[in-house]
Amino acid sequence: MATFEAELARELRALPIDAPDELRERVRALGEPNPRRRIPRVAWRRATLVLVPACVSVLLAAAVVHGIVSSHATKHTSASASVVEAGHPASGAGGATRTNPSDSLAPSVSVFGEANKTFAPLPTPNRHQDYQADLRVRVDDLDALGRRTAQAMQIVRSLGGYVASVSQSSANGQPGEADLVLRVPVAHVDDALIRLSALGTVLEQHVSIVDLENTVTQQRRQVRALKLQILRLTAALGQPLPADVRLRLQFQLDDARRNLAAATGASRATLREAALSRVALSLTTERPAAATHDRGRVGAAVSDAFHFLAGAGAIALAALIVLVPIALLILLVWWGIRAFRRRAADRLLAAS
Amino acid sequence: MESVNAAATMPALAAGRPTFASVAEAELDAVHAYLLFLTGDRSVAEDVAGETFEKAFRLWRRFDPRRGTARAWLCSIARSAALDHLRAEERRRRRELRYARETRTVDEPSWGDGAAAAALRKLAPADREVVALRVVLELDGPTTARILGISRTACSTRLSRALQRLEELMTDGDV
Repeated sequence: MATFEAELARELRALPIDAPDELRERVRALGEPNPRRRIPRVAWRRATLVLVPACVSVLLAAAVVHGIVSSHATKHTSASASVVEAGHPASGAGGATRTNPSDSLAPSVSVFGEANKTFAPLPTPNRHQDYQADLRVRVDDLDALGRRTAQAMQIVRSLGGYVASVSQSSANGQPGEADLVLRVPVAHVDDALIRLSALGTVLEQHVSIVDLENTVTQQRRQVRALKLQILRLTAALGQPLPADVRLRLQFQLDDARRNLAAATGASRATLREAALSRVALSLTTERPAAATHDRGRVGAAVSDAFHFLAGAGAIALAALIVLVPIALLILLVWWGIRAFRRRAADRLLAAS
Repeated sequence: MESVNAAATMPALAAGRPTFASVAEAELDAVHAYLLFLTGDRSVAEDVAGETFEKAFRLWRRFDPRRGTARAWLCSIARSAALDHLRAEERRRRRELRYARETRTVDEPSWGDGAAAAALRKLAPADREVVALRVVLELDGPTTARILGISRTACSTRLSRALQRLEELMTDGDV
């Protein structure tokens, strides 16, 4: 066979198969292609080795930046919210404010419980204000509930206040509850709130401040006016007057005295209201629905970064789910066309 | 045919990226021979060879000597051009259904009057093609398989069958 092949090759090469001169001239006439702008060839393996780690690095960096920025933004928002709420009482008359730590600070920290720190609005000194606070505090168990209730009453009394009402309930299978309405002198309300919140873990707090300065001023003005009216009427009645005039002035004096008594009573009530704050304290043994813990800034940043990566992964997975069938379909069509063309070419060349 | 064999070991090709003109000069006979074996028609081979080099001229910047020889690259282009030509011919013949086969005549003998030439005429184009690539142009098996778009095994089988058929035809008294 080898001999035959060699002989055949020699015979085949001896055949007149060289290109004719016309064709040679035609090809020579083509000359040399113009040198085009050299486009750097992409070495896919090398590019993959560089691009994949680069993309992963960029993604990780983006996740870290996102985590840091997000955690910083959350902390900043919480802090600024506390500042705004605490500074509000200095505002004008009729202002009211409410705070809720569960809204502003996700973890159930004892807002009042931190030593010498209070994040709740406090009454403004030298102004008459109606100060009301609702405090919900969790204690450990029923025994603690009783002890803490007694402690709360003792705290209020020690600060010169009193217990307006107290009710305590406990039943099998139900969390124990103790509801106290406490009246605390406004001057000591911050101290009271700190000590009351230290009885357990603050679950909820609401603070309401209504400025009464205008009301007190109006009531005082009314009292002064009535007193002046009474003085004038009394002086007039000391003069010799006709009987009908004297009778009318006497009626006016009686009305003024009644009004003065009412105005004085209202003024005193307002002052009493402004002097004593109302603190509604609820002690409970209920467990939190979901335990929350302070992860700290690093923990929050890590969590946010993982959330970012999870989001990016979800997007990539979705894209993959959508694109892979399309790519497979295109590949299948391409393979089919290629196979068809090859078979067609084979048929074409098989025909002798 | 010396130029065909000499071009396969051209130092310019091994040294790096050659110029198009030098490659065209060196490989023209080989490409023409291949197309002559493939089509079995001298005028068609000439036309397709010209078309092949025009196409190669346009695509020259895509040629990468590291991926294969210039001869293999040109033969791939030539095969594609030849198949396009044959497909067009096939379509034309279908249109002229009544007398196409009768009118399809070779204008001039392609290989002369010897025993090998007569045997080649009896071979199918596919067999002539593989003989041309492997025996005349002396391309290796993998390169030939890549040009033909088939596996190495299929290429080897096709060559063996073609040579056997050629031997039979040449030794047969009817040839």
